[in-house]
Amino acid sequence: MGTITASKRQLAWVFDLNKCIGCQTCSVACKMLWTQDEGTEHQWWMTVNTQPGQGTPKGWETMGGGYKDGKQTPGKLPTPEEFGGGWDYNYQEVLRGGKGRDVHLEKTAGSKTWGMNWDEDEGAGEFPNSYYFYLPRLCNHCTQPGCVEACPNDALYKDPENGLVLRNEDLCKGAQMCARACPYKKIYFNPARKVSQQCIGCFPRIEQGVAPACVRQCPGRAAWIGFLDDAHGPVAKLVNQWKVALPLHPEFETKPNVYYIPPLSPAPLNADGSWNENGDRIPASYLESLFGQPVHGAVDTLKTEMAKRRSGQPSELMDLLVMYKWEEALGHLRRDPAEIVWS
Amino acid sequence: MTTTGTASLDRYRKRWSWEKATFGTHCLNCLATCPYRVFSADGKVLFEEPAAVFGQVEDGVPDMNPMSCQKGSAWSVQLTAPDRLLHPLRRVGERGSGEWEEISWDEALGEAADAIVEAIDFEGPESVVFEETVEGGLLTQAPYLRFAGLIGAVTLDANGLINDFPAGHHITFGKFSCASSVDDTFHTELVLIWHSNPSYTSIPYAHYITEARYHGSRVVCIAPDYSPSSLMADTYVPIKASTDAAFALSMCQVILDEGLANTDFLRSQTDFPLLVIESTRRFLRASDVVSGGKEDQFYWWDEAASTLAEAPRGTLDPEDVRPAMSGKFSATLVDGTTVDVVPVAELLRERLQEYTPERASEICGVNPEVIRELAREASRKRTKILEGFNTPKYYHGDLMERAMCLFLAVTGNWGRPGTGIQGLALAGLDGYMLFGMKQKRGVAETIRVMEGVEGAIAALGNQDPEASDEMVGYELLQRGVVSGTASPPAFFHFYHCGYKDTWNRAEWSDPTMKRSFEDYVNDAVRRGWWGGLVKPGPSTDPQVLFIVATNPIRRQRGGSDTLLQNLWPKLEKVIVVDTRMSATALQADIVLPAAMQYERINLQYAITHSFRVGFSDEAVKPQGEARTEWQIFRALSEKVQERAAEQGVNEYLDGRRQPRRLDNLASAFTLNGAYESEEAVVDEWLRDSIEAGTLPEDGTLQSLREKGTTRFSGLGMFAPGLSLAANVEPNKTVTAFQWHVEDFVPYPTLTHRAQFLIDHPWFQEADEDLPRHKDTPKMGGDYPLLLTSGHSRWTVHAVSMGNPTLSGTHRGEPLAILSAEDARSRGIADGDLIEVRNDRGSYAIRAKVAPRVRPGQVIVYNGWEPHMFSEWKGPNEVEPGMVKWLHLVSRYGHLRYLPFGWQPVPADRAVFVEVAKL
Ligand code: SF4
Ligand code: SF4
Ligand code: SF4
Repeated sequence: MGTITASKRQLAWVFDLNKCIGCQTCSVACKMLWTQDEGTEHQWWMTVNTQPGQGTPKGWETMGGGYKDGKQTPGKLPTPEEFGGGWDYNYQEVLRGGKGRDVHLEKTAGSKTWGMNWDEDEGAGEFPNSYYFYLPRLCNHCTQPGCVEACPNDALYKDPENGLVLRNEDLCKGAQMCARACPYKKIYFNPARKVSQQCIGCFPRIEQGVAPACVRQCPGRAAWIGFLDDAHGPVAKLVNQWKVALPLHPEFETKPNVYYIPPLSPAPLNADGSWNENGDRIPASYLESLFGQPVHGAVDTLKTEMAKRRSGQPSELMDLLVMYKWEEALGHLRRDPAEIVWS
Repeated sequence: MTTTGTASLDRYRKRWSWEKATFGTHCLNCLATCPYRVFSADGKVLFEEPAAVFGQVEDGVPDMNPMSCQKGSAWSVQLTAPDRLLHPLRRVGERGSGEWEEISWDEALGEAADAIVEAIDFEGPESVVFEETVEGGLLTQAPYLRFAGLIGAVTLDANGLINDFPAGHHITFGKFSCASSVDDTFHTELVLIWHSNPSYTSIPYAHYITEARYHGSRVVCIAPDYSPSSLMADTYVPIKASTDAAFALSMCQVILDEGLANTDFLRSQTDFPLLVIESTRRFLRASDVVSGGKEDQFYWWDEAASTLAEAPRGTLDPEDVRPAMSGKFSATLVDGTTVDVVPVAELLRERLQEYTPERASEICGVNPEVIRELAREASRKRTKILEGFNTPKYYHGDLMERAMCLFLAVTGNWGRPGTGIQGLALAGLDGYMLFGMKQKRGVAETIRVMEGVEGAIAALGNQDPEASDEMVGYELLQRGVVSGTASPPAFFHFYHCGYKDTWNRAEWSDPTMKRSFEDYVNDAVRRGWWGGLVKPGPSTDPQVLFIVATNPIRRQRGGSDTLLQNLWPKLEKVIVVDTRMSATALQADIVLPAAMQYERINLQYAITHSFRVGFSDEAVKPQGEARTEWQIFRALSEKVQERAAEQGVNEYLDGRRQPRRLDNLASAFTLNGAYESEEAVVDEWLRDSIEAGTLPEDGTLQSLREKGTTRFSGLGMFAPGLSLAANVEPNKTVTAFQWHVEDFVPYPTLTHRAQFLIDHPWFQEADEDLPRHKDTPKMGGDYPLLLTSGHSRWTVHAVSMGNPTLSGTHRGEPLAILSAEDARSRGIADGDLIEVRNDRGSYAIRAKVAPRVRPGQVIVYNGWEPHMFSEWKGPNEVEPGMVKWLHLVSRYGHLRYLPFGWQPVPADRAVFVEVAKL
């Protein structure tokens, strides 16, 4: 079994679910860089799903893994069908096959029933009080990473300098114990190379002072990256000072390092169509099921500061969330990659 | 930072390295044109990433970085996607059979040239028809426009094809360019997301909505479904689809009734104070009052002096006059009779009584108190409507737009930061406008041409000293229209493509029409309203259809078979130039492969969203044998000249009976070799734009290669740019219509004011002289479900439909999204194959069930190609593509054709259907 060696510092991500528009630019940015080879077609290290929903892999929230009272709990290995996707189409046949309207574009490979974003924009509730929001997910680079501990080959480790959970793929024998142990189900299997793979925290970029692709490319300006102990950085302020950014499913006990600002969503409507400004469109209990008890305080803080700003008073929290200068999102990782000249 | 160096990590490090980083963008018709960095090595693009090169413009307003979206970030995948075209192809089997042979460029161009020369000889040059496009950037568009102009062919107006024309804005303002720069939204106190879905369609700058909200503004989303953009809002208004006019008018009613209207704004900016003869509902004109009086001099009632007075035409500033906004007065006409006259405001007040919140609520389903609250709030706050291009696709979209404009008028909400309508406005890239006028390359020639234009502007200005520069600019454009190639496509569709019967179907049309659609067309044509613009004329059979970077077979309202069965048989040759095998390419005779962005240089058309020039560099050479459009049309010019000489067709008469020659076509195309390459062309556009003051000194090609983009420095001398009517300052967001509101510059309308009364007899007959609500006609038949549509998140039109990376971000196949209730009552489960049908047609599609959808509504986002459906029957099968007859009106003040402007356009949203499990 692998051992977890604590890192000196910890990089963390914050996603603002009020700014995330579910555009998948982060998912695509990641895929373009890291999962283009044979064996990685179905892999999406970064995913964005509509909540409530089954997400990726389908039903991941109930697949187990992680810890209970400090002890590892058994987890299920998601099946390829639960990840879904991996599509190919009969382009040749339709566009160049000479068969005219007898054929049309259809999937010739991959899952017919699921994919990375299959339940997009579905959500729950009843119109007009339906509710949903977007949840971008990547490996949480946990402080107590179940995957590291579960690996029989000592392939996984926490980078001592920045806390990223990384894998020595040359040690990985494809046992997939990590994928069972990870309660977030963020580990994929590469059938061509017979290794497990997951988000690498864009370490080649980070080494060069460039922010991870999922953060740097986010058009919603919904993502921040930074060291948790950099008290002046937005990440630490949002997580530690304002306590509005919370880990997902803290009850999994892996101490994740991706934090979320909970969604507010519009006020619900009364039966006669009038506004119920004090009601919750997204049931508070649902938010609690994702982010735990502290979510109520976070929502209250957000609402209070928003109201302050609306009444013309200053609010440091609102200024942070506005992000006047985009570079604030990048923490210390502000270098423009195009400046790099590889020798 | 160090990370342990193992071989495993090194593989990832190696993957993230490159030889070259160039600037690129995608020149898509998504309007954003985000600057990207394109990383390449060994002549291959590896990946791209937003360049994020924007500095902060205005203090206290967030910058525009990074500007990106998933389509842009996966663009490079499309260079080698399976639908990419790499070689010239000739059809082997039947049209549409998908059986091809690869041929040489020489052969392909020769065949195209033969067809063109024969068409010119046989039916005249207007039998060669191009579909205009807005895709692909200016260097995709300029070559075919130049070629068409030289041979005297017809180009079908792009806006009549794609229908991004908000007719109601044009009716009100004489233009539709009311879009500020996107960062202006941060100044808004009340953001209304209305008839749009920015979280799908404005991904790169949707952040200004969420950031304005954190900054203290309130965000309200008004939509039939609880749309993905509702998530950004504080409140959601569930409106019944296509009842927006009733909702807007009701808010106007509340504002006027409660005395909340911005009267100063209405007095100066609108036709509210202009007098109307009560019995005829026609404006009181000087020609009514004095003999020999002008047709376009209007009056108001000077309250202090208690007299009739001429409303000034040269300024909106009422100065010391307080024109009456209510009451009834009398005026003596030229024949000595007296008539009662009332200000337009009186008529509007009366009209609005039909839209009290309680009455409007019965139409639009919105709670009356919500209407009142929102109306009051808008009257207090800087309010902006984020509108997009959905309304133009509704049959009565013009009525919705006019009502929304009225709502902004009564609340005084345009022309100031944070107000107005976010749609589309063009910025000035004057070098592009000057290009076709130049006889030589170089700045000396530019100055000569500019002096000529200025002279023409001055001469026109002298004819009407009270006209604004913008109006004179339109006049100038107007004079060029008839000698140009552009034609509003509605007439082409009516005479040549079999739409007559569809458009004549009374049960799919507005019930207030007194005559058949055909009667109105004949009437409009007989009156000469569209003189010189109906091209090719009814008796000229189209011979060659040339389609560059656009996709009518997917887009065509009325179903692709409408074109395939009615137009295609007449055509000797269908030639498609594209980067990918589109639905239209599949139906072509000759397919020519075009270079994609990243494989060529390009400039995007200039708009105000980022207010920056969009530049794309060549990172790698084109795949396969693909060529740029400039290369293609340059070579085609040579070929046509050669074949024309062989066939002895060197001279002919064009549609205006003017002589044309083909024996100098090649040198005319390149201006005697000055424009051999597109670099020379781009260089010329940029340098001339700097000369004309629309780009700063760092707008050169060299500088764009280094910096990626630069911000426009002025609006230039041409009407499209001037129509923005905004000051351009380096450190301020751009606010459309500022000149009208701050400087009292008149609007380019009949009355020189934002005009809510259209006293044209057809509008009167339709009872649409004032804004009102009308129910959507039963387009498609009497069925229980209303099919709305809109653009998807996943592709810009069909351009990214074949991108395998993007397919993985959705279900990867066409979807119809149903409400939970409608699915349940029809026994339809998520994933079932269903039939969507009405009296126009039917198609099969998979169902997706989502509780966010309003019962009674079905959503099918567009972009799917017909060949993604069985029998190639896609969503346009059920869209009749009805055209509103009132838009055939012309020669009434500002209601007259200008390219990309006023013209009849087809509706496709809000058709009635039923769905059933297959
Ligand atoms: S790129 Fe940003 S806004 Fe888009 S889905 Fe990802 S986190 Fe959300
Ligand atoms: S999210 Fe899963 S894979 Fe990532 S560190 Fe935590 S346990 Fe490991
Ligand atoms: S940090 Fe890099 S590897 Fe990880 S999800 Fe983001 S883009 Fe992908």
